[in-house]
Formats: sequence, C-alpha cells, structure tokens
Amino acid sequence: MAEHTVASFDEDLRQISRLINDMGDLAASMVGASTRALLETDNALAQRVVSDDAIMDARQRELDDRAITLIAKRQPMADDLRNVVGSIRMAGDLERIGDLAKNIAKRVGSVGVSAAPRDLTHSIDSMAQMVLIQVQAVIQEYTVGGATALAKLRNDDERIDVKYTSVFRELLTYMMEDPRNITACTHLLFCAKNLERIGDHVTNIAENAYYVLTGTQLPANRPKQDETAMSAPAA
Amino acid sequence: MKPMLSTDLNAPETTVEKAKIEVKNLNFYYGQSKALKDINLSLPERSVTAFIGPSGCGKSTLLRVLNRIYELYPKQSAEGQVLLDGKNILDRSQDLNLLRTKIGMVFQKPTPFPMSIYENIAFGVRLYEKISKAEMDSRVEQALKRAALWNEVKDKLNASGLSLSGGQQQRLCIARTVAVKPEVILLDEPASALDPLSTAKIEELIDELQADYTIVIVTHNMQQAARVSRQTAFMYLGELVEFDRTEKIFTSPREKRTQDYITGRFG
Repeated sequence: MAEHTVASFDEDLRQISRLINDMGDLAASMVGASTRALLETDNALAQRVVSDDAIMDARQRELDDRAITLIAKRQPMADDLRNVVGSIRMAGDLERIGDLAKNIAKRVGSVGVSAAPRDLTHSIDSMAQMVLIQVQAVIQEYTVGGATALAKLRNDDERIDVKYTSVFRELLTYMMEDPRNITACTHLLFCAKNLERIGDHVTNIAENAYYVLTGTQLPANRPKQDETAMSAPAA
Repeated sequence: MKPMLSTDLNAPETTVEKAKIEVKNLNFYYGQSKALKDINLSLPERSVTAFIGPSGCGKSTLLRVLNRIYELYPKQSAEGQVLLDGKNILDRSQDLNLLRTKIGMVFQKPTPFPMSIYENIAFGVRLYEKISKAEMDSRVEQALKRAALWNEVKDKLNASGLSLSGGQQQRLCIARTVAVKPEVILLDEPASALDPLSTAKIEELIDELQADYTIVIVTHNMQQAARVSRQTAFMYLGELVEFDRTEKIFTSPREKRTQDYITGRFG
C-alpha cells in the first residue's frame, strides 16, 4: 500500500497497528500462562497473568485514545477508516480475552487440580491448546493480510465449541461418578467455559479483521456446535 | 417516495429510480485537448450526486456541460449525449435560455448582482415570466425562505445584495436559482469560500432541496461529498473512474485509484 501524502498519518496508523500486535501477543501469552498455571497449580504464574491484565487494559485505553484522536485529526476514509474502527473493536475483544484469562488464573488457588482425574485435566489442556493456536493465528493472519485464512479461522471456532461440549459431558460424568470431584470439576467447568468464550472473541476478531482487509462482511451465520445449552439448564 | 437504499454495500445499485440526467459517451474538448473521455453516467431524480477528484480531473467541466455554459467560450466542444428527461440537451435545436431555467447553477464565489436583495431574485424571474407585483413579492419570499435566508434579510430587502456576508450571498445565489423553478441545480464548489457555520447552512439547505430538485455538486471537500450526496462519482484525468453509492465509495471503493485519492495517498 502506497504511503500517505502526509507522512505523520502513516505514523499514526502504524502506532495503532503496533498496539493491536502488542495486545495480540499479550493475549496469547496470558491464555497460555493461565491454563499452564491451572494445570500445574502454579500460583506465581497465575499472579503474573492477573498483573498482565492491567497492562492489557492500559494498552486498550491507549489504543482508544489514539484511534479517536486520529479520527478527529485525519478524518480517515475507506481502508483507513475500516482499519481504525476495526482496531477499536478488535482491541475490545482482545481486552475481553485478557479478562477471561485472568478469570482462569484466579481459580488456580481453589481448584485443587491434583484431586481431579488426570484424564480430565488432559481434556482441558488440549482444549486450551486449540484456543491458544486460534488466538495466535488471528493476529498473525491480520498482520500479514490473510483474509482467506481469517475466514477459515472464524469457522474453526466450531471445533472449540465441539470440544467444549465434550469436556462438559466428561465433567458431568466425573461428578456423577464421585461427588468428591464436584468442587474441582465445577471450577474446571468455568475454566472450560472461559476458554470457549475466548474462542468466540477470536471469532469476532477474525470477522473484524476480514472486514478491515476486504471491505466486505463475512456471512452472518456460522455453524454453532455448543450443545450444552440444550443438554442442561443454562449456566 | 424514495426507495430505501439497501444497507448491503455490495448489492447492485437499484435501477428503480428514474434517471433525471443521462450522460452517454460524452467527450469534451478544450481546443485540441480532450478533457472528458467517454463519460457514461446516470443521475437519479431528486437526489444529490457529488463529483470528486483532483484539480483538472474534469469534474467542473462535466458540470459545465450539463447546462452548456461552456458555450460562452470559443473552441470548447462536446460530443455525445446528455439526456435531460430523455431529451438530448446537446442537440442544436435545444433552446439555451429554456435549458438554463431548467438547470440552474451556483458558483464557487458568490455572484450576487449589484442590486437590491429583492431585485437579485426578481431579475431572473422577470426574464421568463410576467407576473404581478404581489405575485413577485410572494415568489421572492418563497425563494428566500427556500434558501433559509428569509429571516436574516426580510427587513432589508432593498439593501444591496453585496452588503450581505459571504455565506448569505451564497444563499442569495441559491435563492435566485430556486426562484426560476429549475428542475436541476448544479453547485460548483458552493461552500469552498465559506466558514464552517455558513458551510453547514448550505449543506442543510442542500439536504432540504433534494426533496424537490436533482442536485449535482462538485466539491474538493471529501467529507462534504460524504455528508451531502447519495451518489458519488470519482473522476481522474478526464475519466469517470468509479460511480457508486456514496457509502460504498467512502467505506470500500472498488477501484484502487479511488481508494488512493480519498485516503490521501495520491501522487
């Protein structure tokens, strides 16, 4: 893309892109660290995630300020306009991902994972890996302008929803087998739900990024596979 | 009643609206030099169309073809067709005076006549119509009201048009144009010499006038084009590069040249 006649306009846009990248990296690091802290009962790591969330919030505020100032000063049009508005929205989703990772980290003290069956933590672990790959990929594809990959990535969230459904059923089974599992499993259930929500935010980011890059919206409907709402009362 | 515009920017432009002006295969020459190259464009009735593009792109030239005002100058010629309600106005048989009552024009610099505010409006009307003093009074009042100027000048209709501020003078020129009951109004940079408040008044006026008139505006101010128009034509080097709904042009234009121009990446 050619440079703007006014060079400082390019610099303003670069600052916003840099913040989105930073927030994306931070979100991925928080998601990875929070699940590791949970599965390894690592309180120090969990604490780090909690303090990272404050950095995430500060980045989002900075991005909002810069984006609003840019709109006021430059009145961006076309791809620039989509970029700035899209960045504001993506930053909102990244900030929420940070919050959800923090929620997972805050449960580390109370879960008592060691008491939970090994198979179960294994399922959560593989679900966390799927989510982490999505978080990392979405920002990477946005940065390199991979619109097609973003459209696919958005649909891949379906796999996380399917995984969540199976984790949910597994947890129910463990709780029914032995009531002593209920405390750990309930906490893990919330963690799984948080991971599933992170996947949804990745979907939002992919949709926004796709619109920023192409100027067209992805179709409104995407297959939805979270069946837990049908098999049990809403959480 | 105008049909609602689809919110899907990629849906094809609806063709249910009646075209007021159709430009077909239009070429225009300043002497030997070709200023417009095979322009094809359809301007829907009772809506605002903006022409944008860098200086020298041909947007003002195109506007000047629409009422044949270019004929005031020698060595300027147009080829092709400009259909007003299906009738070619470039045809030799076209009565120019009649054409210019149908298609009014307002210029970049306000051009009030050196006469009273009242006469500025009455003068043009008298050229085409014989009406009584009472009817004329009413016509002047209506035109000034239409141009949102009445309240500011009603107590000084005999004052010189030149005593008004720039923004008021421009609205006086719009009133003068409206008074002869045109069907189309051409605006050539109507607000570029005005302060933001006067500009806002002109834009508000354009918004109201489109209920009754087909309006074409040439502007260098892209935000203005985005605000006031329903269709936007981007021109470059005498060519019509892209013509689409204004929302589409300013959020996701099809052509790279359009995008480069409106985002400030040109040249």
